[in-house]
Amino acid sequence: MTPRSPSSAPERTPAAAAAPTAPPKVPPVLSVRDVRIGDRAGHREVVHGVSFGLTPGKAVGVVGESGSGKTLTCRAVLGILPRHFEITGGSVEIAGTDITTLTPSRWTELRGATISAVFQDPASYLNPSIRVGAQIAEVLRVKTGLKRRQARHRAVELLRAVRLRDPALVYGQYPHELSGGMLQRVLIATAVAAGPRVLIADEATTALDVTVQAEILDLLDELREESGLALVVVSHDLAVVAQICDEVLVMRQGEVVEQGPAHEVLHHPRHPYTRLLVAEHEQYGLDRFLDPTEASS
Amino acid sequence: MPRVLALTSGRIAVAVLAVIALLALLGPWLAPQDPLATSDHVLAAASGSHWLGTDHLGRDVFSRLLDGSRVSVLGSLEVALVALVVGAIPGILSVYLGRVFEWVTLRLADTLVALPFLLFAVAVIALLGNGLAQAMFVTGALVSPLFYRVARAATLSVARSPYVEAALVAGASTGWIVRRHVRVKVLPPLAVALAQTIGVGFVIVSSLTFLGIGVQPPAPTWGGLLASDLGYLGQRPWGPVAPALLIMVTVWACNLLADAIRDVSGEAGRALADDREARAARPGTNRPVSAGGTR
Amino acid sequence: MTTGLPQDVTTARPEDVTTGPRQDVTSGRPRDVTSRPSEARTAARPAAPRPALEVTGLDVHYGRGRGRRRALAGVSLSVAPGETVGVIGETGSGKSTLARTVLGLVRPSAGSVRVGGEDVTRYGNRRWRALRRRGVVQYVFQDPLRSLDPDLTIEDSLIEPLLIQGRGRAEATARARSLLDRVRLHDDLLERMPSELSGGQRQRIAVARALMTGPELVLLDEPVSALDSANRVQVLEILKELGAAGTALVLISHDLGSVAGTADRIAVLHHGALVETGAARDVVNRPAHPYTRLLVGSAPTLRTASADRARREALRALLNT
Repeated sequence: MTPRSPSSAPERTPAAAAAPTAPPKVPPVLSVRDVRIGDRAGHREVVHGVSFGLTPGKAVGVVGESGSGKTLTCRAVLGILPRHFEITGGSVEIAGTDITTLTPSRWTELRGATISAVFQDPASYLNPSIRVGAQIAEVLRVKTGLKRRQARHRAVELLRAVRLRDPALVYGQYPHELSGGMLQRVLIATAVAAGPRVLIADEATTALDVTVQAEILDLLDELREESGLALVVVSHDLAVVAQICDEVLVMRQGEVVEQGPAHEVLHHPRHPYTRLLVAEHEQYGLDRFLDPTEASS
Repeated sequence: MPRVLALTSGRIAVAVLAVIALLALLGPWLAPQDPLATSDHVLAAASGSHWLGTDHLGRDVFSRLLDGSRVSVLGSLEVALVALVVGAIPGILSVYLGRVFEWVTLRLADTLVALPFLLFAVAVIALLGNGLAQAMFVTGALVSPLFYRVARAATLSVARSPYVEAALVAGASTGWIVRRHVRVKVLPPLAVALAQTIGVGFVIVSSLTFLGIGVQPPAPTWGGLLASDLGYLGQRPWGPVAPALLIMVTVWACNLLADAIRDVSGEAGRALADDREARAARPGTNRPVSAGGTR
Repeated sequence: MTTGLPQDVTTARPEDVTTGPRQDVTSGRPRDVTSRPSEARTAARPAAPRPALEVTGLDVHYGRGRGRRRALAGVSLSVAPGETVGVIGETGSGKSTLARTVLGLVRPSAGSVRVGGEDVTRYGNRRWRALRRRGVVQYVFQDPLRSLDPDLTIEDSLIEPLLIQGRGRAEATARARSLLDRVRLHDDLLERMPSELSGGQRQRIAVARALMTGPELVLLDEPVSALDSANRVQVLEILKELGAAGTALVLISHDLGSVAGTADRIAVLHHGALVETGAARDVVNRPAHPYTRLLVGSAPTLRTASADRARREALRALLNT
């Protein structure tokens, strides 16, 4: 195991400092320190220590196959671990608040308003019998206390912000009338409705077509640039993470086997597993067939 | 379905039903006394010579119950089997034989469901003459829409699956697909329906014989016993308990069996049964508290 | 019982209307890129091999009346024996419809389909069944989880196509064993149930099943998209071997990357029409149509290139007008 020492992180701080909006030492909006997750029934640890920090406008990627613990880590951060799992060690701070101190009602307040998430199958997160606009408006009314008319107005704005072509039309449509990519946009709109500072995208583009996946990733990237949203992008696909992340964690069997700046992990992988992931991608991905000129043009 | 026996509930149900079936087979020989012989011990309480007492004509209730079980069991089996044949086969074929057949059978099924069956049975018996076989046949036909729908729904879900399309692409005929792919999927839900219908059959046979339809008075039946005992509640208040209990236990066992079949059929069910078997085979492992007949 | 298709000399056609020089769809000018089969054909015109699949001007509509919707519009495609053609299309592009039409599961409203030189466009149910029974064309379904009957053992699923042909069980099982070897699976899987197999194993079983009858043409609908990368590589390797052994393959996928390394040629479907056809390397490196350019530009690569965002934006705008 050769986890990169956190010492590689400071290398990147000057870059962050150079950004005009970021003061030299921005407090992290999400900080995960050596989080361990245990299975209550089996009394065994399934995630063996995950650490990363996230400042506004940054993106961290978590890569790993199914069962590597990446989703459990996300769920722990969101406070929605399945019942038989529990955090057994380490700490999670969201905007300076240690999550162990949170009561259920404070959690509810925090989720959506400060930290939010989108998942793989957008259709299952929407009520099929309610128009999508009304579902976003409901989130707005609950989370931000907007009046009915204002909420409606703001929902249409959000649908426009996620680059849906005819937001007013989409507002009045039912989930089954929308394509997978459009539904994921609606969910992103819902997730960012209350202006969270962290957005977790757990395999959010996995079920989508390539061009739609790129649209969603571009959208997330834009949101990050424009509103300083911090992103946690979880995927089994190294390349997806490579598109928009500054820092990458490679997980395997509950263990972070490699962690560091994206370009370094991708181009100089140290751990054999990361190398395997890179090699596999080069074997079936498009990279191998692209002439160097095309990629750089 | 050996998997049914992996469940405790399945074992209980099969055991109870086996006893009932034995009673029906051997009832006349097991009966300690002639079920039709009258005596002077009218409305006697349970005793050594009359285990369940005697009825208003002094006949031995225990012997009558045993003897009557054959009629009840045969009758309910007839109901279920008629319903199965009349319902399931058109149900499967409705998916494959084109729109006209589908439309006609669907409307027929709706019509049969709409008929009040006891009334209809009485009417048919008035036309065809009083006989248990006729009565049960009619009842079976009236229950058949259940089988029609179950078979049709199962067939429909299979017919759209990729593996059926794969067989189609390999040149399989409809007959092949039904034999090889559809049959296996349709059998478990049909078995559930069958077990339920046998249970319902007992109730129907009992209701009809209670009303005096199907079987002529001196011959004993569970429903008939119940009816005659009810008339003497004042003298023998415990009288209806034995036949009523017998009907209840039988119907309960049928429903239990239906549940057990449902539990072990399909992907999840197979895993459940295998798991139970594995646990049973491995001594010393803790069984979960819910290892009984829970779902 | 013969497995091979009788050579149909009357249907062998000297000219191939579909695979000419590559068309730049946006400008309408032919591009000077010759693809492998057309080269082969010009080299040996007199004894031109009849294409394993030839689709000409195919139109397919779904629904009727006002709900009538066009799924395929004038699709022409030809696949030579032993050639692997990748059909790239995203959700709703009509790629599955194309496969289903070739298999006779969907009837075209215009155009023609020739399978192994035989014009099957007007075939009725009976003739389709006879054709399928010969096992000349096979299909590997998109979903490896559901394309095997959960109540049949792997052996029973594998030998089904041969049993349908009326072959003996022993013969069929022997062939199943040899094919399992070919897809690199151990033959003790034969007694297992599909639920006991991993997704990768199931997909390889599905491929083996399609090969049971020794087909000339195999259509694979998203053969690797449900698989993880390790299994993906393995299945693609198997497909390459198959192509090298002379089986014509049509790989239908939404993912350019997974097909580019395996296919000789690539055809790109967009909204039911083929917008670009050409040698795999050319399509990937010099995509002509804006949609293909977007497709290539959207594929995630390990080269982080955030500058692509603006380019993709421009292409999207171009396609939407």
